Parts: sequence; structure tokens; C-alpha cells
Amino acid sequence: MAEIIATKNLIKDYNLGKVKVRALNGVDLTIEAGEFVAIMGPSGSGKSTLMHIIGCLDSPTGGEYQLDGVLVSQMDKDDLASIRNSKIGFVFQSFNLLPHLNILKNVELPLMYAGESLRERSRKAREILASVGLSDRLRHKPSELSGGQRQRVAIARAIVNNPAILLADEPTGNLDSQAGGDILEIFTQLHSQGNTVIIVTHDKAVAQRAGRIIRIMDGRIEDGHLAG
Amino acid sequence: MAISLAESLHLGILDILTRKVRSAVTVIGIVLGVMCIMVVLAIVNGMNKTTMEWMSQRGGLSKVEVRPNWGYDFSKGGDPSLSLREIQLIRELVPQATAFNAQIPLPESEMQLGDSGYLCSVLGVYPDMLKVEEWKLAKGRFINDFDITNHNNVVVLGSTVARELFNSRDPLGRYVSWGGHRFMVVGVLGERYLKNQGTGDTFGENGLEYLNQRAFLPLSTVISRINPKLRISSLELQAASPEKAKEMRKQVEDIVLNLKQGKALFRVDSAQEQMDMMRKNTMIFTSIFILIAVISLLVGGIVIMNIMLASVKERTREIGVRIAVGARRRDIVVQFLVQTVLITALGGVIGILLGYAILDLVGGYLKLEVAASVRMIWTALLVSIGVGLLFGIMPAVRAGKLDPIEALREE
Repeated sequence: MAEIIATKNLIKDYNLGKVKVRALNGVDLTIEAGEFVAIMGPSGSGKSTLMHIIGCLDSPTGGEYQLDGVLVSQMDKDDLASIRNSKIGFVFQSFNLLPHLNILKNVELPLMYAGESLRERSRKAREILASVGLSDRLRHKPSELSGGQRQRVAIARAIVNNPAILLADEPTGNLDSQAGGDILEIFTQLHSQGNTVIIVTHDKAVAQRAGRIIRIMDGRIEDGHLAG
Repeated sequence: MAISLAESLHLGILDILTRKVRSAVTVIGIVLGVMCIMVVLAIVNGMNKTTMEWMSQRGGLSKVEVRPNWGYDFSKGGDPSLSLREIQLIRELVPQATAFNAQIPLPESEMQLGDSGYLCSVLGVYPDMLKVEEWKLAKGRFINDFDITNHNNVVVLGSTVARELFNSRDPLGRYVSWGGHRFMVVGVLGERYLKNQGTGDTFGENGLEYLNQRAFLPLSTVISRINPKLRISSLELQAASPEKAKEMRKQVEDIVLNLKQGKALFRVDSAQEQMDMMRKNTMIFTSIFILIAVISLLVGGIVIMNIMLASVKERTREIGVRIAVGARRRDIVVQFLVQTVLITALGGVIGILLGYAILDLVGGYLKLEVAASVRMIWTALLVSIGVGLLFGIMPAVRAGKLDPIEALREE
């Protein structure tokens, strides 16, 4: 299988005043296309930083990062924006839907920045929302939906532009176990359809669904082994 | 893969509709500023138009007038009057004048035709009065040089005088009496008309009706046959151009001053200079109001900047989300800038409409001439868009500079 993510000696330093803090200290990570990976680690371990860099929201201080065969660690901000738009789908713990837009418009958002026509946006967004079972709620505002439904909208938004990887940060953290289970089911299903899914989580139940758990500690990967 | 301008406009409209009250409050300063500019410019335009009309009705901008200087303290001696000989001297010293008229107003007295009479003002004048006042004859002829030389007993009637005395009958060749003398009617003047400004129903709607109520005799006849003691107190000359009128004014002023031993018994004015003065006065008036308008636009702009900064702060998370799904800096900057400009342009449009409403009231109730032009509308619109760009750029750039990671963390 092809490598979709490959990092080599990834380093990230933050300057907190005069103190330099090393958040990532030489991360070598390879994720194959179609894998379902959970990234675990305590707070402050660097897992958020790693996720931001994988998600192209941040650039590493040193090392290399290849995403889907493209070296993204040297790219400028505009290029990173288009990478985020076309290759990465984000799912956040707190959903991050725009409250004043209905869910159809929320899902259309990445397509708008991709420059798709209004008609094409609407068609694709409706199709994706149907696949997560929300066809009857297109005109609802996020505030009119339950937590589980909101997270399904967020997933729809993440995958509507056919990204290379689906990146989720504690996607079940704000949900009850029933809704959390449903969301996990959707991730599992997406994985079974061939999508690459990377979930950052504390939750062992979530991690158990993943094909591989990557543990991170003090800015380094501890071990990468098959789950179960 | 930037989003298009149409897309940004769409987003902007959506944002404004989502935050109706805030948008309305934001825009008040701009509305007032634009309204102020509209109203002031239209009133000033109207005033200039009226002044121009009045000036051209009264003989145009090439006229030079000599009138008693009422600011002079006549108790110190001196009498603001010129003899026929002095008038003749001025006429010879200013040969470049294209027209020359002196007049003597006579006390109001009834002009009689048989049993009927009409109270009118009678003036003794020179033949050039017609040219100086740019007045047209309705029928017959005006007083000519022959009448002046021979002191003929002839009269030319204003249109109202002729109508009141003769109705539809032909007055030419008929005799009227005035002040115990008989005069033959040789001509009737055309009607003078200028729509009255202001609320003055008391003055009737024709601002020049007083001219139609006059009758004219040869100046020489007035002095020799009616009252040899009469003196001339006002004089009008016409120059070839408004520019030449300025020089002529100076020359005539010097002559009159010399005739009166250096006493400023007379004022000499040129219509062009009066016009310049009036223009200057309206300029001051205009500048003050434009300044007020500009200040209110600036204050409006600062209010907008403030509200947009607050809006950027409040929408930090939204900006983070947009960046996360692929918006570039430019997209975010354009989104906020377009929104600001849309709001100010909307304020401009409301200001223009309100300005029109006010002008309608001013024009309707105060009967003031107002002249709003299409160019003013464009100016007002461009100014409001300019304010949007000027005060919208800083908040927009700030929005574009947000760090997505920080922005997404924001509660």
C-alpha cells in the first residue's frame, strides 16, 4: 500500500517569551493509505501539535512531511490553504459548525473555497448529508440539532471534498456514549470504504476500533503497534 | 481557487442579514454624513442657479451700477445726486460702455386715462435702459435719442400698467395724463417674470412684478417739464464683457469720486463682483456644511471600524473554521472588507434617499430652489464606499492574520 503520510525527524519548537519549548522532538511516522490510526498520549505530549502539522494548520520547525506524495513542510500559507481544502478533512471535538448557516451551507463551505459552482456544491453537499442520514434537516441551523447530529454534519463537511485523509480530534469527546458509538460507526464505515482515518483520542474504546495505535510522549513516538 | 467577488458579495449580504440590528446601528453615521452632503450640495446648487437667473434677468454680469451710498454719513454734507451735465460728462468719459442709462424715480402718483386711473411708479430714463435691463418691447417703440434731445412728452408703459388702463384696447397713440401733464403712449414693454423664491405669498408669485407696474418718460422731459430741481441719483452702464465690467467699475468710481470732491457719496458695483461675492459667501456656507459632513463620515467610519473589530473578535472561531476548510488569508480579508463596504454603501443609499426626502420637503414647504444632480448621487455613493474601504481594511487584515490554531481554540 502507498504511504499517504510520511514524516522524517519532524521537529516543532515554540518560543514562549525567551524560553524555547520543543513540542515535537524528531517524529518519524508513516501512515499507509486506507489505514485507521489512533494517536494517543497525555496532555502536553505533543499530539495536538502533531495533529496540527499533519492537518497543515501549522508548519514544522525542522524535518520533512510528505502528504499524499507532496512535500508540504516547505509550503507557504496559500499553498497550505489549498492542501487543507483538497486533501484534508477535519472533524473537531466541538464540531465547529458555523451557527448562522444552515447545515447544507455548512457542508458546502469547503466546496465554496474549492471554487465549485453553486449547483455542484449543493448537489455534492446533499449527497453527503444523505449518506450520514440528515437529508431531512438540510435547512436546520446547527443549534436545532443534537450533538450526534452536529458531529455527523461536521463529518459530512470533512469528507465532502474527497480528502486524502480524515483527521479527527477527540470526535466523541462531547457526545454521550450512544451518539459517540454512532459516530465511531461512521468512521469505521468510512474506513471500510477505503478512507484513511486518523483519530486523536484519549478514549480507549475509540482506539480499540483503530487498526493501529500511535502513542506519543514528550514529543516522540513511543511505539507503533497493531491494536488488539 | 480563490472565491469570487460575487461569492464575497453573497457572503457579505448574508452576514448583514444575519446581524440586521448591528448593521443598522453601524451605518447611522454614514447615513447622516451622506444625507448632509446631498442636502447641502443641492441647496447650494439651487441657490447658485437662482442667483444666476436673477442676475441675467437684471441685465447680466456686464452691468455696472452707480447708486447712493447709504452707508455714507450725509449729515457731514453732500448730496447723492448728479446733475444732467455731470451725467453727460460720465457718458463722454466712458465711451467704451455699450449701453448707458440714468434714471430718476418720481413720486408715486396716479396715471389717468379718462375716468380710470392706475397708481404707478414713473421713472425718467435714457433710451439704453432697454438694453441695460435686457428688456423686450411688446409693442410700439421705446424712448429714443430724439425724445431726449427734444424733451418730448411721450411715455412707455409697463405691461401691468397698460393692461390696467387699456384692457385689450391698443394704447399706442393714445394720451394719458400724469402729474398734470399729458403724454402720448408710444410703446408697451414685455412682461418680466421670475418665479418667486421662499414662502412669500405676500409678494405674489412673480418676483419681478414691480417692474411691470412702472412707466417710463425721457429723462430730459422729466427735468425740463416736470421738475427742474430733480437730480439723478442712479446710473447704469453696460460693458462689453463681465471682465471689462470690473475695469469699468473702477473707472466710473474714480470719476464719480472726483466729481464729488473725494466724498464717497455713491456706491459703484459691478454685477460680476457682486456675483463673485455671493459665490464666496455660499462657498463659506458650503465649506462649513461639507466639513460637518466629513466629520460625521469620519466618526461614522471610526464607529464602523470599531464594530468590525468587535465583529472579527466575536467571529474568531468562524474564521478559524473557514481557514481549516481551505480559506486563504485573502479570502478572509476580502470577506470582511466586502462586508464593510456593503454596509457603508447601503448607508450611502439610505443617506441619498433620506437626502431626497428632505430636499423634497425643503423644496415643497420652503419653496427653495433645489438642484440635485446624478453626479451628486455618484459622489455620495463613491464617498460611502471609500469610507468602507478606508475603515474596513484594518479589521479585515486583522481577521486575515488570525492564527487558525488559536482561532479554533477560542471559545
